[in-house]
Amino acid sequence: MNNAIRYFAGVDIGSVSIAAVLIRSQKREMAASEMIPSGGNYKDAARKVLNGVLSKAGIGVADLAGIVTTGLGAESAPFPARQVSDISCQAMGCRRLFPQVRTVIDIGGQFTKAMRITPEGRVADFLMSEKCATGSGRFLQVIARILHVNLSEIGSLSLQSETPVEFSTNCAVFAESETVSRIAEGAKAADILAGVHRAMAAKVSMLAKRVKMETEVALTGGGGEDTGLVQAVGDTLGVRIWVPEQPRLSAALGAACLAAAD
Amino acid sequence: MLFAGLDIGSTMTKAVIVDGNEKILAALVGPTGAEHRHLAFQVMDETVRKAGLSFEALDFIVATGYGRINVPFADKQVTEITCHARGIRAIFPGTRIIIDIGGQDSKGIKLNDAGTVANFVMNDKCAAGTGRFLEVISETLGIRLSDLALISAEAEGFVKISNMCTVFAEHEVTSRLAEGARIAEIVAGLHEAIAGRVVNMVRHLGIEKDVVVTGGPAKNAGLVKAIADKVGLPVWVPPEPFITGALGAALLGKGFAKRNATRNQTRRMESVTFFA
Repeated sequence: MNNAIRYFAGVDIGSVSIAAVLIRSQKREMAASEMIPSGGNYKDAARKVLNGVLSKAGIGVADLAGIVTTGLGAESAPFPARQVSDISCQAMGCRRLFPQVRTVIDIGGQFTKAMRITPEGRVADFLMSEKCATGSGRFLQVIARILHVNLSEIGSLSLQSETPVEFSTNCAVFAESETVSRIAEGAKAADILAGVHRAMAAKVSMLAKRVKMETEVALTGGGGEDTGLVQAVGDTLGVRIWVPEQPRLSAALGAACLAAAD
Repeated sequence: MLFAGLDIGSTMTKAVIVDGNEKILAALVGPTGAEHRHLAFQVMDETVRKAGLSFEALDFIVATGYGRINVPFADKQVTEITCHARGIRAIFPGTRIIIDIGGQDSKGIKLNDAGTVANFVMNDKCAAGTGRFLEVISETLGIRLSDLALISAEAEGFVKISNMCTVFAEHEVTSRLAEGARIAEIVAGLHEAIAGRVVNMVRHLGIEKDVVVTGGPAKNAGLVKAIADKVGLPVWVPPEPFITGALGAALLGKGFAKRNATRNQTRRMESVTFFA
């Protein structure tokens, strides 16, 4: 049976979205992926996302040789699975995508994490910022709401900025009122967003430096979808940043890789 | 002799006029707008009228607060820390620790035997532990700031707010509401959170009695009680906590005038237009 194709699934049950990735045993190549909003019931959503990814690949549960769940709701899975911490999964997922990467920055809606990883994809050092909104995606949401800009437009708009606004504060709440004053003074949305990206990048960079950042560096999570933020982080750290094609799937991918390693 | 103090804070602007006997002749509190310079004229003008005086009769004018540089007619600018210390000393002579909670910062001030500033600590970097925290969350709850104290008085215990960051705490409060927590216990939890943050900061000064809480949020008896519980000592609140900085500025003005400090030679009131 050693030559038969075996499938492994990784399911990342987060507070905002639930992602599933299916890999084939050979070369650990991605067979299918699926992502849905978490909603109020993790159990139902986890079942739904797993069924979704299985039907995309055209296989059944019986074809699965192993499942790893991760994320805030890892233990809510309604199917038998091994639970692994999200940082371990994130590290493994990044190693699968970018073997040269030694530092991973994950920018989510509420938490920002920085980790240094070994060539084998294990976590060597790890820090999380959860106390302050400035380093997180929430900061952008707050400012985008005032500017009436869709989250998906933030990146391209910010990249058009010629003179980014320099905020006098690092607090998202104070920056919100500063934004209102700057709009009144005639500042452009692009310049305000670029200023927010710089403030976030400064905060994120501090985290990366505290885990003794080594190149190469990858950026995952929802923050990876924001090209303006990626550029600001790269500029601040003075390094090139690797971003997965689907930055919010890398932890689920890592979970699938860990399932295959069992 | 007449002395005026003007305190332009991030959220509110305050003015006080005192006479040579340090008696308050008039005091005014109003919201700080975007245009400090214009506002300074307007508030000073109104306070002078309220006292039945003329602007020219003022012997010395001291400006304080974060907008103090935008008061072109002031004779001197003094930091709000010095002004608060002076104002509080006039009201509560035995004060050793002042906890000043502003709209956008919070401070702890330690006074020595002579009643002058020995040391201070300050947070102006983060909205947690400032009046802004209360403003943001009370808006989320749909409660007026002035109602917070009454509402928290009905609380049996409090809902713990575990997020320090205002942005995250706002979200946390919404979740607690959805879970069925009562508003009274949530508001009590907010007071608990601010008190914890502010008192932890002030502890670095070494807390000793008497302790005074001032600034706009000191009008909130629920918050003051939470602070007193954490401090473990009775705390005093001035009758009008908004104006202690402006009062101190006016009183310092008296001292400057006595020592013949140089006055602002170009001090002139610009004509003020009132919008009906």
